[in-house]
Order: sequence, then structure tokens, then C-alpha cells
Amino acid sequence: MLRFTRKPYLGFIFPGFVIYTVFMIVPLLTAVYYSFFQWSGLGPKIFIGLENYRSLFFDERLSGIFWNALGNNFKFVGIVLAIIMPIQLFIAYWLDVKIIGYKFHRTIIFLPYVISSTIVGFLTMLVFNPNIGIINTFLKYVGLDSHLSAWFGDPRRAFPLVSIVIAWQGIAAGMFIFLANLKGISQNIIEASLIDGAGRWQRFRYIILPSLKPSLINNIILGTIWGLTQFDIPFVVGGSQGGVNNSIDFMNLFFYRFAFGGSYYGETSMGFGATISVVLFFIILIVAIIQITFLTRKFDGGSGQRSIK
Amino acid sequence: MSSRSHFEKLRGAKSPAAGIVSVVFFLYCAIALYLIPMLAMNSFKTKSDLINNTLGIIKTFTLDNYKTLLFEDHFMRYFFNSVVLTTASLASLLFISSLCAYGLSRYHFKGRKFLRIYFLLGMMFPIQLGILPIFIIIRNLHLTNNFLGMILIYTANMSLAVFIFSNFFRALPTALYESAVLEGAGEFTIFVRIMVPISKPVFATVGILNFVTIWNDFYMPLVFLTKKEVRTLTLGIYSYMNNFLANWHLVFAAVTLALIPVLIMFFAFSKFMITGLTAGALKE
Repeated sequence: MLRFTRKPYLGFIFPGFVIYTVFMIVPLLTAVYYSFFQWSGLGPKIFIGLENYRSLFFDERLSGIFWNALGNNFKFVGIVLAIIMPIQLFIAYWLDVKIIGYKFHRTIIFLPYVISSTIVGFLTMLVFNPNIGIINTFLKYVGLDSHLSAWFGDPRRAFPLVSIVIAWQGIAAGMFIFLANLKGISQNIIEASLIDGAGRWQRFRYIILPSLKPSLINNIILGTIWGLTQFDIPFVVGGSQGGVNNSIDFMNLFFYRFAFGGSYYGETSMGFGATISVVLFFIILIVAIIQITFLTRKFDGGSGQRSIK
Repeated sequence: MSSRSHFEKLRGAKSPAAGIVSVVFFLYCAIALYLIPMLAMNSFKTKSDLINNTLGIIKTFTLDNYKTLLFEDHFMRYFFNSVVLTTASLASLLFISSLCAYGLSRYHFKGRKFLRIYFLLGMMFPIQLGILPIFIIIRNLHLTNNFLGMILIYTANMSLAVFIFSNFFRALPTALYESAVLEGAGEFTIFVRIMVPISKPVFATVGILNFVTIWNDFYMPLVFLTKKEVRTLTLGIYSYMNNFLANWHLVFAAVTLALIPVLIMFFAFSKFMITGLTAGALKE
């Protein structure tokens, strides 16, 4: 019946479609075009084919920075999946059990999420600054001077520290996804397991964990994208160079330096910047495709086997 | 009620293990609960007190930092810029994305499925990935250092908004729509008069989630708003921070003032934010 009205949907969709296409989709595609040129952003574009890609992967000076930044991104993705996600699930589980003060915990754990990265960066400086920071001041006060450290100024410590700061700010998002999933599990099933006398771990392993498939898939994918697109905190804390010896350099900072910050042999290179963003785009695409196919297949296979038993 | 609390007791909400976990969580929460009030307290210290006694208790209370910040610096400008940019971007985003989602949910047409997926792509590929071509487009339109350009970018980043709105509109009963059609109302009138009023909670969800995102955004202003007159609050604070020795007395007051709107939003509406954060995740 609705089909006979003359296409009113066009009027509704059109404005959004135009803005979304022009500023979201077209830029993703045209980045590929710019990556084939040597171009400072002003003046003539010189077509150089795949030269930017060759430089990125093989140029002595550039490829080192590239692999370091990409490596840091993947290191951080590893931290997200292996450490942060289990912690998020742990927090969500206990909030769902409604431990003492759960409403308070839920609120305060969420709080840093709404604080802007510049302010989180400022707090980081207050805590870790070698001269005036809280930690070093405290260490001096209690006489543990041998443990004084430059913290972010120490390349070996900067990466774990920046990971902690990023996690502190963002931990709530994935946690709430787990929590919403946990709340959706039928009380009756959990109640039945309680009556059967299943222990906490058994209940978690055999009743709760299998029901968490949707939130696990989502958090793995969202967490990976989160890890691959870090910018704010490393930039605010470590500057556009990504800290001492590029210790907290990430792909997005690397990109920013070259596209907007004049780091390509002293001048801004839009072409080379585009190349970096294209490579990052394909990395995200490939990782996402692998994860989606692998995750859905693995989980389906698992549940299939169980039902056969 | 009593069966519910009995259920929680059975699940071990008050067991020793839960007690230990609760203490650990309290300790973790203490980080935020120490740092944020400390910022506020420091904003009332005198300059010399701040330098010699950064972490200690306040010695002499003063409002001088706020006076300097508000009347002798650009802070008001930054704050005003953030208010204008966030408000205008939110209005645009809510209007355009709700229209779009309504069109995608209410009507059946060829290519609808494709369009739905098309509008979801932005959730997979953050808008930052296209920032360089966006920069070139914005520059060609002469919209750098201009809020209109920023509003367009924030509006284009509409995937999550369209998704949340679509899920809501799709669940609305068609009877609502059909009775209005019988009364002869136009399509747009139906949307504005009937659909928007019953969708207030979704508008709140999308609005508050994006308020925080846009208000706190650092990357887009960093790239597009390079002139002092158009700086937003996050950029302003970054500039104080970058030169914090010179601005040591200002930065605490600036950070405190910047946090106030966000904290109000947070404590008043965190439920809507949580809904927004999880809305995209558990469907499909």
C-alpha cells in the first residue's frame, strides 16, 4: 500500500546521502588517487605511480618509522584483546552480580570516558611528570629515590604507560557492551544453575560465556579498530613525534606528521600522507574481514558441536 | 522483590570474593576521585602556591586565576566557539540523520538494503581515515577555519546515529503512520508532528552521545581550525598545556571550567549515553 505513494523516501534520504557520500565515502576512495602523486598540497601534482608505496615499505628512513608505528598499533591491539577486554568482562561480570557499591563503581569507571583527551593528557602529565608529577613527588617523600623515573621520558616505559592511560579513559565502552549482554541472559537459566549447585566458575564457563557471543564479536572488532586508530592521547602526551625515540608513535600520528606537519624531508607531503592512510585503511579492512569470517564460523561451529552431543 | 534479592544473594553479591572485588574497584575509582577534585582545588591556589605546593592542600584561596582567564585571555572565546560549534553540529546531525533513518525504515523501495549497509560503513572505517581528501575538499570550498566546514564533517559522521534511529523507527507500529495518512497529513508533517515527539528518548540518546564526542573532539579542530579566533576549548587547553610553565596558573582554572558542562551532562544523562554506547553492539 505504501509502495504506491510517489517516492517520498527520496526527500528524507537525499540530504544525508549527499553529505555522507561527499565527506565520508568519497574521501575514503580518493585517498587512493592522491597516493599516486608527489604533492606538497599546494602547487602541481606529479604522478609517480607506486613510488610512495615503495618509499613507505622500503625507504631506509621512512620504512623504519612505518614499521615502528604499525608495530605499536598491533602491540596495542594485542593489549586490548589480551588484557583490556578480559578486564572489561571481569568488571561487567561483577557489576552484573551487583556487588556492594556497583552503582558507584559503574558511574566512576565510566567517568573518564567523557573527559576530553587534552584533559586526560594534562592529568597524565600531573601524575607522571618527572619534576612535578605526583608519582615522583611521592617517591621522594617516602624516600624511595632509587625508583624515580622519567616515566614517559623513558622509551622503555612510555608504551606500557600510554596503554594504561588510554585504557583508563576508554575502558567503559566495551565494558557496557558486555554488561548489556549479561543483562540479557535469562535469569531462569542462571537460577537453574544456582539450584543445581554449579560453582561460580562453572556457571561462568558453561552458562554465561556461551551467551556472550554477540558482545565478544563486537568488542573484538571495535577493540581492534580502536587499537588501529589511536591518535589523541599519544599526540597530547608525546607530541606529534610520538614520544622519545618514537616510543609511542602510532600510524595516525605518522600520517598526521607527513600530511599536515611537514615531515617528509622537511616538507608536507599530501601524497605520502594519503599513502599512509590508504595502507591503514586496507589493514583495517583485511583485519575486519578476517575477524568477521573467523569469529562467526568459529562460534557457529562450536555451538553446532555442542548441540550434536 | 524479595526473590530478586534472594537471587542476588545466591549469585554471591555479598560473598567474600565479591567483597574483595568491590574493594579493588573502590581503589581504582579513587584515581578519578582524587585527580578531578585536585584539578578544581588547584584552580583556586595563588600562582606561587601552585609552583611550590602543586600537590598539597590549598594555602590561600584566590579567584585571580579565573579573573585572568576570563577577562584577560582568550578563554571565553574558546568556550563560546565550542558551544556554538557543538550546538550547531548537533542540530544538523540530529536533523539530517533522523530524516535519513526515517526514510530508510518507513518506506520499502529498491536498493533499501544496499543503502542501509552503505550508511553503516562509517562505523567500520573512522572518518579520520579520509581526513586528507576531506581537507582538500574543505579547502577548495574555502571552509578551513570555518565552522560550516566542521558542521558538515560532524554531520557526515552519521553512521551510528542513522543506525540507532533506524532501529527505533523500524520498531514503531505502522498503524501510527497509516492513521495519519488517512487524515491527509503530508509525509514530512507526519515525521515532524508524530514521529519526532514519540522518538524523544532516541533523540536524547543520539544527542548526548554526540554532544560528548563533538565537545571533546581534538583531531578535527586540530586539522581544520588553526587560527586563534576559531579555536575550540580542547584546542585552547592544549595550547595552555603545551606552554604550561607560562600558563601554570591558568591551566587548572581552564580545565575545571571545561569539565563543568561535560560533568553536568554525565551525571544527569549517563543512562542515555550507556544506551547509545551499547545500541550499536548487540543487534544483528
